[in-house]
Amino acid sequence: MAAVEIRNVAKSFGPTDIIRNVNVEVPDGAFVVLVGPSGCGKSTLLRMIAGLEDIDKGEIVIGGRVINDVEPKHRDIAMVFQNYALYPHMTIAENMGFSLRLAKQSKTEIARRVGDAARILGLTDYLHRFPKQLSGGQRQRVAMGRAIVRQPQVFLFDEPLSNLDAKLRVQMRGELKDMHARFKTTTIYVTHDQIEAMTMADLIVVMRDGVVEQIGSPLDLYDFPANMFVGSFIGSPAMNFLTGTVRQHDGQQVFETGSGFRLPVAAGAGASNGLAATLGIRPEHLTLSSRGEGLGGKIVTIEPTGSETFVVVQLGADKISALLRQRLTASIGDELWLAPQAGTTHLFDSATTKRLVSA
Amino acid sequence: MSANPSSNPGGKRRRIRKMLVDRGIDVVLLVFSLLMLLPLVFLVSNGFKTPQEMLAWPPTIIPANPTIDNFAAVLQGTPLLRWIFNSIAFAVLSTLAILATSSIAGYILAKFRYRSLNVIFALVLATAIVPFEVYMIPLYFQAQSLGILNSLWGLLLGYLVMSFGIFLIRQNVIHSIPDELLEAARIDGAGELWIFFRIVLPLLRGALGALGVLAFFQAWTAFAWPMIVATNREAYTIEVGLALFQTGFTVDLGRLSAASALVLIPSISLFVILRRNFVQGVASTGLKE
Repeated sequence: MAAVEIRNVAKSFGPTDIIRNVNVEVPDGAFVVLVGPSGCGKSTLLRMIAGLEDIDKGEIVIGGRVINDVEPKHRDIAMVFQNYALYPHMTIAENMGFSLRLAKQSKTEIARRVGDAARILGLTDYLHRFPKQLSGGQRQRVAMGRAIVRQPQVFLFDEPLSNLDAKLRVQMRGELKDMHARFKTTTIYVTHDQIEAMTMADLIVVMRDGVVEQIGSPLDLYDFPANMFVGSFIGSPAMNFLTGTVRQHDGQQVFETGSGFRLPVAAGAGASNGLAATLGIRPEHLTLSSRGEGLGGKIVTIEPTGSETFVVVQLGADKISALLRQRLTASIGDELWLAPQAGTTHLFDSATTKRLVSA
Repeated sequence: MSANPSSNPGGKRRRIRKMLVDRGIDVVLLVFSLLMLLPLVFLVSNGFKTPQEMLAWPPTIIPANPTIDNFAAVLQGTPLLRWIFNSIAFAVLSTLAILATSSIAGYILAKFRYRSLNVIFALVLATAIVPFEVYMIPLYFQAQSLGILNSLWGLLLGYLVMSFGIFLIRQNVIHSIPDELLEAARIDGAGELWIFFRIVLPLLRGALGALGVLAFFQAWTAFAWPMIVATNREAYTIEVGLALFQTGFTVDLGRLSAASALVLIPSISLFVILRRNFVQGVASTGLKE
């Protein structure tokens, strides 16, 4: 096991900057998820760690050793690819033992380590089959097995679950977590799925356009998003954003939306009066309120799922969605009033999109 | 359904109609395949006929007085076995060379990204549209200055590289070998040669088989180049040798048929062995030279 440090790393393909000055510290044994929309550079960063892409600027350190100019095979890493990348003409056992064979391990040692990994992953009965005879989930396990047998310093995962169906994805998520708990190997995991990131990570790195937007534990990112992008990216359904102005009203600082609703702003938020701001409210932090209190408008969408109800309400020019735990007997066109729970809203500076403080 | 046909009279009629259509298709295909086989059958049977019977009308499929004089004359009067050997050696070596050059060049053109490779690939494609006859004469002078006229090496000179083969393998690599497979191997610790021999080549087996058949028959049926590069009788390939039976004024039908029948043996055997690759090759490319 080893810590991974990414220091001032940059990469461009021709005139396009893919990674701009990224700094990440992955502690020894941690499960770190790189997450962001497609094209944000997360996969490129992972491939740079693996040695599949050159590092234009900065350096990457694995276990105290700068590996910029070290060949992939000497970096002591194992990588699991999105499409599994199993060798189609080799059996499962040969696939899993491939790296050991190249490392000139003895046949008995290869058989022992492949056997161990197969037992952990429940693949013992499939060792003599070929990849095409296995289901997607089993192939994914073989790819993991191939990584495990090497006993590397670092595991790299590139969207490993995105080719699986939803149910299998949840199951494999659990198995990956178990595997990490068992081996405690430093893991860097790339995904575009924020749920995967939230459920698996010790530490999440949110990226956009080649820049790290925020690094933190899952709940840190949820509770204290650094800017509007992180606020909207983490959490599902996505955070509502209302544009408006910070004003003085009745001796108190309030946030006034474009449609004229006023919501309280915590004292000490540090917002100056007249500031053009954006208020972020998570749908699950809205509750039903009485008429005239909070935000009100006509229902445009209502989706009851039994345990909760998802509603979208038109507030003048804005729309706001809410996820309510209470039963709601209302239909489209009815008027509904919602108020955010105290201390759950986020005030962002509209110009910089940075978060000011919990409002 | 079939247990109670009376409940479904339309079904039975439809089945009969379908059967009639199927049989009709069979008959048409059978007629055409017989038409295509007939010349071959006559070729073989003519080899066993006397000169009189060969010109008789109506022609007979089974000779009335079978004779092996033609075969004996061919085998004694011409170095036919030598020509067959030349052809086989030429075709086999050419096939091996084309498989080697196509797989290496095709793989590199498909998977390595350098701007200069695009230019090279364009050049490779460009050579495919230049007819062989255009550079046949310069190539002859080259063979002459190398001193390899009348030798196997001279025959091979124009048949070591096949631009279509490079193209075929390149397309196949792009289609069937994802980058991740090679990257996984690199991370696993494989060197580039290892990757080529242990991962790329095994995955190209089908394409290489198809290309091998195409390359073999290209060399086997080559005529113009062997004709000009081989000037003495011993160095001829079978195609050139067969042409000797037809002069400007006469065609020795009996000996030509006998020799042709003998020549069919290796090519038919190869086709039987490799027919799946052959069909696959033609089907997957939609092209045959």
